[in-house]
Amino acid sequence: MSPQRFLSKSESQVPMTAQALVAHVLESGDFYAAVAVHGIADARQRQRLEERLFGSRRDVLMLARWEHTPANVLDALSRLEHMPLARRVVKHRNTGGSTLKHQFSQSDDPALTGLLALHANTPAPLLLQIAMGDHDQVVLKGLARNPSAQPEVLRLLAQRFPRRFDKEIASHAAVPVDLLATLYHRGDKFVRAAVLAHKHVPEALLLQAAKSTETLILRALVKHPQLPAALVDTLSQHKDNAIRAALATRADLPVHLTARLALDESDSVRRAVACRADLAPTLMQMLAEDHDPWVRQWLGRNPMAGKHVLQKLALDIHEDVRRAVARNPNCPITLLEKLASDHRSWVRAAVAYQPNVTSCLMASLARDSAVDVLSGVAANPHTAPALLKRLVFSEELDVRRGVILNPAAGPEILLPLLQDPYYLHRVMLASSPKLSDQDKWQLRDDPDARVRFALFQWLAARALRPVADRYFYRRKA
Amino acid sequence: MKIVVAVKQVAALDDDFEIRADGLDVDEDFLMYDLNEWDDYSLEEAMKIKEAAAEGAVEVIAVSVGPERVDESLRKCLAKGADRAIRVWDDAMEGSDAVTIGRILAGVVKKEAPAMVFAGVQSSDQANAATGMAIAASLDWPHAAVVAELDYQPGAATARIKRELEGGMLQAVEIDCPAVLTLQLGINKPRYASLRGIKQAAAKPIEHWSLGDLGLDATQVGATAALSRVRRMEIPVKGRAQMIEGTIAEQAAKLIEIIKEYKGEAA
Repeated sequence: MSPQRFLSKSESQVPMTAQALVAHVLESGDFYAAVAVHGIADARQRQRLEERLFGSRRDVLMLARWEHTPANVLDALSRLEHMPLARRVVKHRNTGGSTLKHQFSQSDDPALTGLLALHANTPAPLLLQIAMGDHDQVVLKGLARNPSAQPEVLRLLAQRFPRRFDKEIASHAAVPVDLLATLYHRGDKFVRAAVLAHKHVPEALLLQAAKSTETLILRALVKHPQLPAALVDTLSQHKDNAIRAALATRADLPVHLTARLALDESDSVRRAVACRADLAPTLMQMLAEDHDPWVRQWLGRNPMAGKHVLQKLALDIHEDVRRAVARNPNCPITLLEKLASDHRSWVRAAVAYQPNVTSCLMASLARDSAVDVLSGVAANPHTAPALLKRLVFSEELDVRRGVILNPAAGPEILLPLLQDPYYLHRVMLASSPKLSDQDKWQLRDDPDARVRFALFQWLAARALRPVADRYFYRRKA
Repeated sequence: MKIVVAVKQVAALDDDFEIRADGLDVDEDFLMYDLNEWDDYSLEEAMKIKEAAAEGAVEVIAVSVGPERVDESLRKCLAKGADRAIRVWDDAMEGSDAVTIGRILAGVVKKEAPAMVFAGVQSSDQANAATGMAIAASLDWPHAAVVAELDYQPGAATARIKRELEGGMLQAVEIDCPAVLTLQLGINKPRYASLRGIKQAAAKPIEHWSLGDLGLDATQVGATAALSRVRRMEIPVKGRAQMIEGTIAEQAAKLIEIIKEYKGEAA
């Protein structure tokens, strides 16, 4: 099919106002488009949309569990009577706070409390109410893990049930600093480790933990940016591999310890060393000879690795090491040219994703038969538009998706993909700012409901934007 | 020559659902329907044979037993390139078991006289893995189950297949044709229907056959003819299983605590 065909305007024009868009949907009777525009409809239109959406019990049940159902539709659903919807609505991640509150006040289903305790949108007073009154340990554990739980909730749980949820509370981002200290002092080693892993752990606790001999505590401590300097040297000789490996990742590791850890008997420690940005050339050369391929692989990915080290690793017997070199952002072009003809497609694919590849090399990679390589060429922003135009018609959907994900692919390249057989590609394009609304309008009759929903959701969001924004957006597009 | 592909529209369940008042099945309002995943592979295998042959040499026919909603799944088969689609239904077929469905599908096969019949190894909702074999039994045709590789030339007297056995073993088999094969997932890479294919499929007719078209009567199908009947459907009572969370050391500590509790020792 000729690409020119896609450049022609669709027969009808995209409705430019919210009212016109909803009117179009009402006329078409499209169920999924109705879900998408429900939030921008006026009261009269909304009533007609709801007649369409809530016409059958089966549709209502489906909407309450469909992952894309927006908050406003879930709210409308929650007000329907004689429907087994409460659990579904409360379980739905898009349900808003006021809807959750309404469900909690209306339903006597005991399971709802547990679901509300877990929900990210449950209003703070409701979470506090659960923390104050509930006794179910499973519910309260879920509450302690809820990222939306505020400090008062955590404090209350720690008071009502000392030690019961201490580890969950210690791991929570919102835990107050003074509570961390309380939890540390009354906790076992697991709770203490969780406290030490917290980014707001008080320095006094770090100093206290430095005296510990408990491995679990030291593992948490060694990852902390404010590790007491005196401890760094001591821990570099600790018998636990995980402690030494964590130490090897620290930016403040003294040079002499880096050299010592580069000779460590544990592979995991040397792997961590191989990633360091401050490796001396002699250490790099030594690690390039390491018997563990993962050490060599991480060294190959290290942007600070020198040309000679990369040249050596590019000849490695393990393909993953050669691939790591090909992925290195500082890999010289001469080396990339060699790796582009590697006998393993996995290595050639890494070259295809490299932003430094010349257009000549990219043209050569575009003739490759391996799908991984072609996907890399398709996704590379430096690939020539002429090559991308060819790859749009690839048989392999991974290659076509590469073009869609390519930040440099313009509308003239993407337009044919509005006809892509794979629905997810059409969904991606329905939400792409690179295509104009008029180009996307051809998706209004798409056979896949998810595509139509994505299109009308995009258009509904556009309808809510100020007119000036829309004008400038169209000009840019 | 013809290849008949037996397909099924399967039901998927959400995690909260209700069982029908008669207790024999899930309330249909809680079910979502789609083409059985295995059948997607069967259709693709038939399409590969069709596309490798001369144009018009192979006709692929998708066949399903079920009510009107099944047309949606058959349209998918047409959109992917099936030449014809047949839906067989009569209210008397309600309650048919796998053997009875096999008998109904065998009736279609007798009328169409294909060189091959493909079916999925099993359906994702009922998992009887019986329909393909029941077709073969009704026809008294050679059959092979769990086919992972197929080498077949249209019109050939035999086909070479590899069957998937326990532990990843493959069993190479030569089978006389016509035969019934049940195909395993992964035998190929099913295609997505093109938009053009979907639009064309919307205009293609789906043939609706009834009992009379197959030379069957109501006594040979449905619940009365079925060799097995659903007595009750239930959600099992939850056991006392508990997920032990935390680090390996924490999990070990918790296990010790539980063992001590069971042994009556102090924690």
